[in-house]
Amino acid sequence: MERKKLQKSDLSRWLDRIAQEHELIGPSEDDGVIRFQPVESSAEIAVEFANSLIPPKSLFFPAVESLFSFHKRGKDIELEATEPLDRDRVVFGIRNCDVQSLSLLDYVFGQDLEDVYYQERRARTALIALACPTPPRSSCFCTTFGIDPLSSDGSDVLLTDVGDVYLVDVVTEKGEGLVSLAEDLFPGLTDDEARQLQPRPVEMKKVDISQLREKVEALWEDEYWHKMSLPCLGCGICTYVCPTCHCFDIVDVGSTLEGERYRCWDSCMYSDFALMASGENPRPTKRERIRNRYFHKFSTFPSRYGSGYACVGCARCLIHCPGGMEITEVIKDILAKESISE
Amino acid sequence: MQDRLHDIVRKLLGEGTIEYFIGYGAGSEPHRVVPCFVTSDHEVERLVWGPLCLQNLSKYVLQAKDLEGKAGVLVKGCDTRAIVELLKQHQIEREEVVVIGVACQGQVDPRTLEEVLGVPMEQVQGVEDAGDQFVVTIGEDERTVAKEQVLLGKCLYCRHPSAFEYDFTLGEIVPFSIDAGESEFAMVEELERLSVEERRAFWQKQFARCIRCNACREVCYACYCKECIFDRKMPRWLDKPPLLSENEIYHLIRAVHLAGRCIDCRECERVCPMNLPLSRLYKKVQKDIAELFDYEAGIELDEVPPLVSFELDDQDPFM
Repeated sequence: MERKKLQKSDLSRWLDRIAQEHELIGPSEDDGVIRFQPVESSAEIAVEFANSLIPPKSLFFPAVESLFSFHKRGKDIELEATEPLDRDRVVFGIRNCDVQSLSLLDYVFGQDLEDVYYQERRARTALIALACPTPPRSSCFCTTFGIDPLSSDGSDVLLTDVGDVYLVDVVTEKGEGLVSLAEDLFPGLTDDEARQLQPRPVEMKKVDISQLREKVEALWEDEYWHKMSLPCLGCGICTYVCPTCHCFDIVDVGSTLEGERYRCWDSCMYSDFALMASGENPRPTKRERIRNRYFHKFSTFPSRYGSGYACVGCARCLIHCPGGMEITEVIKDILAKESISE
Repeated sequence: MQDRLHDIVRKLLGEGTIEYFIGYGAGSEPHRVVPCFVTSDHEVERLVWGPLCLQNLSKYVLQAKDLEGKAGVLVKGCDTRAIVELLKQHQIEREEVVVIGVACQGQVDPRTLEEVLGVPMEQVQGVEDAGDQFVVTIGEDERTVAKEQVLLGKCLYCRHPSAFEYDFTLGEIVPFSIDAGESEFAMVEELERLSVEERRAFWQKQFARCIRCNACREVCYACYCKECIFDRKMPRWLDKPPLLSENEIYHLIRAVHLAGRCIDCRECERVCPMNLPLSRLYKKVQKDIAELFDYEAGIELDEVPPLVSFELDDQDPFM
């Protein structure tokens, strides 16, 4: 991996150069909400931000996407697949928690069955990660889940703010391609600079979660889930702002003669999520629904994919939950299991 | 006031009058105040009261029906209107719930506070009420801000700061009002002055941003239907994908269903993660109901809601 530097004042030049070749996507503010969205130029990008409200998973697994359209003509049915992308994309400003969430989603949309829509978007998108600010947002807890907010793992290029310049780690060939679009902006580091320009460590509260899976699994029938679920309102915010939640529904919109088949986000917090055609609902109350969500994060997902936990510590759910449910408190409660069962 | 709250709740729990109490509790960080369910004596100390107690806890009274035992709840004046409506709409019985009313002196809008102070909420260690201003603790510093600068939008026009349907009160009922300088319907009138096309463009831009997380519905005290029309499978009135066409119908149906029942608590707007200006929509519905029927929801227990009654001289300008 090669380390270069980029003057902060040159960032916009580089991004605008990229925008000439590719679709440029970055954190951009719209009515007070920061989202990753396509931009015309670097001027629309927010560089000083903690993180986006909607996680960048939406760029690969959109809130709503057309899969194909159908037309019935006489006895024939024509299907036309929807192309997920027009051109290659470059995402600027993704945080490492969200990069790691994509590695988790890769299991879902690539391990057993290849989801061609997701895969094409992943293959045709380069990630320019932006290391987290120091200090990070006070609610953040990615280090608890073993994520280093300064790591370049999983991204194509990593920029780290060290004052007037960014340190630029060029990680992959895709990344080299992006840097080569404006080679003159990226001088190498002198030996002195390599010693002096070091990322500032990111301090974060950290909890030992080595027992988490075992402890949560022992809690299935515990009364804990009843009381802790009382403040939950049953909305879908936690799942929609979660970078690792990936449940979806498939819906045909139109008539029986023509229409489109859509995939859209769904939420296990919704009362009808597990409702079956028979009328049976295996998760009839908030208790079962919330328990399911935490089990999925801390037990089902790791056991199904042989991966780590399906939480990256981005803190979006705890910041935005209207019921004030805090995943960090839930983790602490689970880890303190003996005291709960008393 | 907080001490009195603890005393009352401790007594109610101790006597067995209530099984649990719904109040505000400290979250994991000082700026975060969260709904707090207290069932035993040792948890009572977690209950807090102050200018960051934003939630309308009346919504939680509805689930008391599904739980064993009676619930107690803390309400501000604005939240009392939800209790009144739930009684009128026969969703709760008065003797099923113990209401502790509080004389609210205004609540802080965290989004506005961040803008005014230029400091993220996570650095705010506390907000104290100090008459016509708030004292905000940020690290070692204390900063004062005038209330009218940072209050929740609804507080600027508050006519019912103190609870008015209650079993106990926390301290004296103190009047509170702010001169907002303009009519509470100004935000609606501004939109009413636009052409139909402009208004449509305004709302379409907003509805297009909706992610249909349902938070506005779930937080609404009045959304208690066993099966919401939006969740109905047969027939399906609304498709699940958050497309503009569906989002538009979602919000308009909600607005119409809230006519004569919306109490202006603005919880829908407060919890909306996408910052949709929903209070403008609901304010419009309140304005229409006020103009057509001279009615305001959640005030008088024995006043008949206009949309469940019929009078020969009812206005019908749309006929």
